[in-house]
Amino acid sequence: MAEYKRAKWAAWADHVRAQDDPAKNFEKPEALDDLVVIDISSRSMAGCYCSSLLAELGAETIRIEPPGGDLVRTYSPNGIMVKDTGLAYLQEGRNKHHITLNLETAEGRELFKCFIGAADVLIETYPAGKMDAWGLGYEELSKINPRLIMCSITGFGQFGPESGRQQYDYDNVSQARSAVQYGAGEVLPEGKTVKDMPWAVPTKAGPHIAWAVSGTFGAMGILSALYHRDICGEGQAIDISTPEAYARLHDYQLMWYAHAGVTAERFGSLDTALWLYGFYPTKDGGVFLGGLRLEMWKAFVDIIGKYDEWKAEEWTTLAPFMKKDWQLKYQSMINPETSKYTSEELTQKSVEYAKSGRLAPITPVVAEIVSPWKAMHDENWQDRGMFTPVQDPVYGSVICAQAQWKATETPPRTKWACRPVGYDNAHIYLYYFGYGPVKLKELQDKGIV
Amino acid sequence: MTVFKNYVETKNKKPGPLSGLRVLEVCTLLFGPAGPSFLAELGAEVIKIELPPVGDVTRSLNPFGWFYKEQGPMFMHINPDKYYLALDLHIDMAQQIFKELCAKADVVEFNLRPAVTNRWNIGYEDIKKVNPGIIYLEKNGFGQWGRYAEEDRPSNDGAAQALSGYAWMSSFAGQPPLKQSIWICDVYGAMMGEVAVMAALHHRKRTGKGQYIEMSQSENIMRAMTWVWPYQQVTQTHAEPSGNRDQCICPADTFLCKDGLFAALAAPAPEEFKGLCAAMGKPELAGDPRFKEHTERLKTENALAILKIIADWAVTTTADEIEKLGIKHGFAATRLHTAKDECEDPHRRARGAVKEIDDPMYGNHVDHEIPINMSKTPPKHRWTVRPVGFDNDYIMAKILGRSQQQIAELYGHGVLGKWKDQQGRRPPSDWDGQSGAILRR
Repeated sequence: MAEYKRAKWAAWADHVRAQDDPAKNFEKPEALDDLVVIDISSRSMAGCYCSSLLAELGAETIRIEPPGGDLVRTYSPNGIMVKDTGLAYLQEGRNKHHITLNLETAEGRELFKCFIGAADVLIETYPAGKMDAWGLGYEELSKINPRLIMCSITGFGQFGPESGRQQYDYDNVSQARSAVQYGAGEVLPEGKTVKDMPWAVPTKAGPHIAWAVSGTFGAMGILSALYHRDICGEGQAIDISTPEAYARLHDYQLMWYAHAGVTAERFGSLDTALWLYGFYPTKDGGVFLGGLRLEMWKAFVDIIGKYDEWKAEEWTTLAPFMKKDWQLKYQSMINPETSKYTSEELTQKSVEYAKSGRLAPITPVVAEIVSPWKAMHDENWQDRGMFTPVQDPVYGSVICAQAQWKATETPPRTKWACRPVGYDNAHIYLYYFGYGPVKLKELQDKGIV
Repeated sequence: MTVFKNYVETKNKKPGPLSGLRVLEVCTLLFGPAGPSFLAELGAEVIKIELPPVGDVTRSLNPFGWFYKEQGPMFMHINPDKYYLALDLHIDMAQQIFKELCAKADVVEFNLRPAVTNRWNIGYEDIKKVNPGIIYLEKNGFGQWGRYAEEDRPSNDGAAQALSGYAWMSSFAGQPPLKQSIWICDVYGAMMGEVAVMAALHHRKRTGKGQYIEMSQSENIMRAMTWVWPYQQVTQTHAEPSGNRDQCICPADTFLCKDGLFAALAAPAPEEFKGLCAAMGKPELAGDPRFKEHTERLKTENALAILKIIADWAVTTTADEIEKLGIKHGFAATRLHTAKDECEDPHRRARGAVKEIDDPMYGNHVDHEIPINMSKTPPKHRWTVRPVGFDNDYIMAKILGRSQQQIAELYGHGVLGKWKDQQGRRPPSDWDGQSGAILRR
C-alpha cells in the first residue's frame, strides 16, 4: 500500500486494526460453528446468499442439489463457466458442502428427513405448497425435529391470496414487483419517447439486490429465531417474500402515496428528498456530491469558487433547495463547474477544505463514481481485506468479496469458494449415515444421489 | 403451510423473538438508525439516544417539502418501536450516564466518524470495563482504519453507491452511472449490521464473550455485488452494466408493453422457457439451438436475439396479460408495480406487509411491516417516532432509578435535553400534550 499521511488519531486506528484485521480471522473462533444448516434452494440465489451468510460465520452448511445440479449453477454473464459452475454461484458456494439428493423419489425424501433430524436450520425457496406436497412441509418436519428453524424465501410468501402462485422467485421480477424499480432511472424529456431513448425507463439495480435483501432478512429471521430457541427450546417456520423484503427499503414512498397521493417519479441521479445529494459530471467521469447540512452545501459552493457570486452567505436554511425546480436549477449551475476538474482533483479539494477552508472542518462529501474494476483494484479496500482471493482446492484462486464486516471475536471468513456438484457426497453420507462406497453406489444406481 | 393460518390476526398476542434484549443506539441519518429498528421490531427494547435539542438529522428530511404531521416521513419509516432519550454526550456527566446504561444493555450501536467514541470516553475499551459481554457495533463510510478512514472522509449512501461500483453497474450500457432512488447502501448495510450483532449474541450465549464490530457501508454493498468480482478476475475485463437485462439469467428483463406500462419476466428453466415460447405463440423457439440450453442462451448475442423477439411480442401485449400468461404457462412475470400498488395490493394487505399503524401521537397511518414472518414469535411494527428526549423520564427512572429531583438536576446541567421548538423535533401541532407519554402525563 502506498504511503499516506496518518491521522492525528492514528493510534486508535492501529489499536482497532490490531484486534480486527481480517488477516487474522483464522486465529479466531466462529460464532455459529455449533449449527448445522441445510440449504435446498431451487433456482433462487436468495436462499444461497442466506446460507452463505451463515456459512461465513462457521455453520456447517450442507447444500443439497438435485442430481445434475441446481439451475443456479448456470447463472453467469455470457454463459461463462468455471469447470461446472457459473460466476454467480462461484460466489455463493462458499464454505458449503455440496451433495446431491433426488427429492422427487420417496427414498430421497426419507433420507432428507434423516438430515432434518440432525439440522438446526433449513432454507428452501420452492413455490409455496411444493414442500407440503412432498410431505416435507414445516408441520411434518417439525414432528421429526421440533427445534428446526425452517426459512422459506419465495416470490409470494406462504399465505395470502396470491401465495398459491407456482412461479419461482427471480431477482429482476422481484425488483419490478417491489415498486422500487419504478422510481429509478433516467428521466424521459418531454416530447421524447422510449423509442428515442430506450434507456430512459424504470431501471432496476444491476446486482441481484432483491435476492440479497430477502436472503439477508432470512438470515436475520433465522438468527433471531435461534435467540428465541436458546431460551425456549422451540424452533419455528419463517416466511420471507422477496418483493416485500426489497420493498421495505422503499423508504417514504409508501407513506407519500398513502397520505398525499403522490407517486415518486424518476429523478435521474438527483434525490427527491435530499440536497445536496446527487451525481455530477467531471472532466474524466463523475462524482457523487453530498452535503445534507446547510454548512456542507455552503462549503461545496465555496470549493467551486461560487460562494460570493451565489450569495451563499445569505442562505439560512436548506428548505428551498429541497424543491424540485431549485434542484434542477442548481444542478444546471453546478454541472459546468464540476466539469472543470477531474474526479480526483475534486476529491482532494474536499479533503483539503476540511483542513483549511473557510468553513473547515466542515466539508462536503465528494466521491468518485468508479467502475467495479477500479473498486477491485483500490488499495484501500485491498488493504482492508475485501478482495483477498480465496485459495480453492478445486477452482483455484478466486476473488470473492469478503470481510463485509470486521470483528474482534468472531469475524466472518471464507474458507473455500465452491464445490462441484455432488463433490461431498462421499464425506457427508458417510459422516451422517455411515454410508460408505457400496451403499452410495447403490443409491446412485437408483438415481437417488 | 398451516402454521401461518390467521397469522396477521393473532401476531400481536405472541412475543417477538428478541424479547428481553436491550439495545442502545447513538445514530443519525439512515445507515445508523435503520439497523436497531429491525431489532426493535423483533422485540428488543431499543433506546435511541440523540444529542439535544436537534437530534437526528433525518427529522429534517422530506420529499419535495412534504412532511407527515410536520415529521420527516423517512424518519418515521426507519425508526419504529424505539424509546427516545436525549443525552448530550459531549458532557462528562452524560458520558457517565451512558456507561451506566451500557452496563445494563446487551448491544450498543454507533454511526460516527472514526475515533469519535474514543474521544467521548465511550469507546469499546471504556464500555467493556463496565460490561464485558457488550456487543459493540460501529458503522460508517470507511471503517476505523485504512487510508480513507484516516483521511477523515465523510461518507453517505450516495458515496458508497459511487465508490463500490454499484452505481456503475446499474445503468444502461453506454449511459452514465445511475444512482439508486432508494438509499440502498444505508439500509442494506444497516440490515447486515444486525446479522453481525445477532451472530455475536449467539457466540456470547455460548462463551459469555462480547465483541467489537466495525462496518463500512461501501464494503458491505460490495459483498452483495457477487459475480462482478470473479467476472473481472476471470475475463480480465471491466464488468459493464446492462440496464434491465440480468446478465446471469436469460431471459430476464423488463419490457415496454402495448398499454405503455412495463412488465418484467424471467424464464431460465427449461419448462419456464418452453412456457414463455408457447405464450408468445412461438413454441419452436424452445428447440432453437441458440436458445435450447440456458448456458447457450446466456451468450450475449443469443441473449440479445431472444430478448429482441420477446420485446417485439411484449409491445403487442398488455402488462397485465403478460403477468397472467406467466401464471398460465409457468414462468415468472409481473407488471411493474408502483407505490400505489404497494399501498393497495390486497395480497400485501392480507399479509400485513403494508398496514395501518395505530399510534398515540401520530394517529393512524400506513407503513411497512418488517418483512419477516415468524410462526412462533412474530416481529411487528407497533408504534412510530417521538420528539427528541420524549422518553427521558421513563428511561432514567426505569433503568437507572433516578428520582424526579435528580432528573431535574440533569436537565439543569444540560445533560438531559428536550426537543427544540422546530419542525420534526417537537410533537405534532395536534398533539394533546399527553398521548404517548409513559411515566408522566
